Amino acid sequence: MATAIALSIDMLSFTLTLLLVTLGLVVIFGMMNVINMAHGEFFLIGAYAVVAVTRAGGSFWLGLVLAPCLLALIGFAVEWLVIRHIYRRFIDTILATWGLSLALKQGVILLFGPGSQSMLNPIPGTVEVLGVSYPAYRLFIMGMGLALALGTYWLFFRTALGLQARGVIANRAMAASLGINTRRMDWATFATGAALAGFAGAVMSPIMSVDPQMGMGFLVPSFLAVLVGGVNSLVGAALGSGVIGGTTTMLSARLDQADAQIVVFLLAIMVIRFFPQGLTGDRR
Amino acid sequence: MRVARGTFLTLLCWVVLALLPPVLGDWNASLLAQYVIYGIFALSLGLLWGTAGILCFGQAIFFGMGAYSMAVVTLGKLPALGSSQWAGFALALVLPAVAAALIGWLLFRGRALAGAQLGIVTLCAAVVAETAARRWDFIGGFNGLFGVPSLAFPFESDALSGIGTAYATLGAALAAYLVGLAITRSPLGTVLAAIRNDENRTIHLGYNVRNHKIFVFTVSGGIAGLAGALFALQFGFVSPSLVGFALSTEVLIWVAVGGRAVLMAAFLGALLVRSAETVMSATLADYWLLVLGILFAATVVLAPQGLLASVLRLPPARRLRRRSRPTSTDTAALAPRAAEEASAGAS
Repeated sequence: MATAIALSIDMLSFTLTLLLVTLGLVVIFGMMNVINMAHGEFFLIGAYAVVAVTRAGGSFWLGLVLAPCLLALIGFAVEWLVIRHIYRRFIDTILATWGLSLALKQGVILLFGPGSQSMLNPIPGTVEVLGVSYPAYRLFIMGMGLALALGTYWLFFRTALGLQARGVIANRAMAASLGINTRRMDWATFATGAALAGFAGAVMSPIMSVDPQMGMGFLVPSFLAVLVGGVNSLVGAALGSGVIGGTTTMLSARLDQADAQIVVFLLAIMVIRFFPQGLTGDRR
Repeated sequence: MRVARGTFLTLLCWVVLALLPPVLGDWNASLLAQYVIYGIFALSLGLLWGTAGILCFGQAIFFGMGAYSMAVVTLGKLPALGSSQWAGFALALVLPAVAAALIGWLLFRGRALAGAQLGIVTLCAAVVAETAARRWDFIGGFNGLFGVPSLAFPFESDALSGIGTAYATLGAALAAYLVGLAITRSPLGTVLAAIRNDENRTIHLGYNVRNHKIFVFTVSGGIAGLAGALFALQFGFVSPSLVGFALSTEVLIWVAVGGRAVLMAAFLGALLVRSAETVMSATLADYWLLVLGILFAATVVLAPQGLLASVLRLPPARRLRRRSRPTSTDTAALAPRAAEEASAGAS
C-alpha cells in the first residue's frame, strides 16, 4: 500500500513538474503558433540565473524572483529581433528558434563552462504525506506547478488582458480595428511564455544537475505533452503532462529508465498519429 | 545555344569539384570526401523537404541506419551477407529505404501528419532511435562499433588513397544528385512540387498524394543510407549519435543555409557550412557554435530561400515551358518559383 501511495505521489509529482515546464510552451506554441525550439534554453537560462544569483551571494529565493524577469527581457528581445519577422512562416519559426537555441546554449557554456553546477536544496527535509515521507522541496515544486497553471489559466481566460491576447491571435485585423495594440500583445505574450520557462528552470535547479544539456531533456517530453493533450488548451496540456508524466513514472518503476523513455515516446507518437488534434480535440 | 545561368553554375560546380582532389593533395582530398558525404546527406533532405515540402526532423535515423548497416556487415557480424563492402552498400541502401517506407506509411496514411505534428513526431523518433542504439549491444551499445575498414573500390584489395576516396565519394554524390534531379524534373517531381505548394488541391486533382510522399520519403531514406555507409567507411567507426537528434538538426541547418528548393544548393550548403566550421573553429574556438546559431537564425529570417538557391536554380523542365511568355498566375502552380510563399505559408 505504501509503495502504491509513493508511486502515485511520484506520478503526480512528475506530472505537475512537466506541466510547470510545459506552461511556457503552451503560451508560445499553443497561443501564438510559434514552435519555440529555444524553450529548453529558456529553461536552462532560468536555472543558471539562480546559480549566478546564489554565487553572487544572493539567496535562492531572490534568484527565483529574478530569473523570470531576466527571461521576460530575453523573450522580449528574441521576439523583437527574430520572431516578429516570421509569424507568417510557421516552419521557419522552428528553424530560427533552433538557431537561437544553439547560440543561447553555447553562450551559457562560454559563461559558466560545460560542467554541471549543483545547488543547495533551499527546503531540506521531508514531509509525511499519507504515511509516506516525501522530500519537502518536491512538494513545493508540485504546488508551484499547480499554482502557475491556475494562474496562467486565469490570466488568459478570465482577464480582459488575456481576452485581448487571445483576440489578437484569433483575428489580428479585427483585434486591431477594435483598438488593441497587436504588436504589444505579441511581445507581451512571448515574454510571458519565456518568463514561465525561466521560472520553471529556476524552480527545478535545486533538484537537477544544472548543466548545459538540461534543457534538451525536457524539450521533447514537453512538446509531446502539448501535442498529446491538444495544442490549443491549457486543459490539454495538463492532460498531456499527466499522460506523459504518469506513464513515464509508472514504467520507470518496472523498466530501465531509457527503456521506459522509449516506450513512452513511442506511445506518444501513436497518440499523436491517431489523434492529431490531441486527446482533448478542439475543445477548450 | 544559350545556357541558363543556373545550369551553367551547376555544371561549373561539378567541374570544379572534379578538378579539386589532385590540387588539394591527399590529406585535404580526404577532408573534401568527408564534406561530400555530408553533402549527399543534405541532398537527401533537400529532396524530401525542398521538393515535397516534408520537413523531417529525424533524417539522421536513415543516415545512422546506413552507417550501422555498413559497419555490421564489414565487421562480419551478419555472416549470411558475407563481409564485403558491396554487401554493406546493398544493406545500407535497402534497410534505410525500407524503414523510410514503413515510417512514411505510418506518417502519411489516412489523415497525414503535417506541420508541427510531423516535425515533433520525427524529432521524437530520432530520440527514440538514438536511445535504442545506445541500449542495443549487438551494434555496440553506448560505444558504437570501431575498426570499420576504409573504402576499397572496386575490388576490395587495398584501401583507396585520399584522392581516390574523394573521387569515389564524388561519384556517389553525382549519382545521388542525378537520381534526385531525375525525380524533381520528371512529371512525378511536378506532382511533388504541387503537393508542397497545395496538398489539398493536389488531392482534389486526383493524385494519390500519400503514395507520392511515401515514394519520395523512401528514395530520400535510401540516399541518406548511402551517405551513412560512406561515413562509416571514411571515419572507421559508428556511434549512437549518428542516429540522433543533433545530427538531424545539423543537416537541417546545412540545407536551410544552402537553399532547400534547389538540390545543388542543399548539397553545397553542407560543403559550405562544414568547411566554414573547419576554418572558423580554429580561430573562433568555442565561439563558433554561438556564431553558427546566430548566422543560422539570421539566414532563416533574412534569406528564407537560402544563400545559394537563387543563383543555382535550374530553368523549369522543357515540357513546362511555354512558347508565348507565360503570365505569372499561369505558372504559379507549376514553377518552383512559386515555392517561396507556398512552402512558407504551408500549414
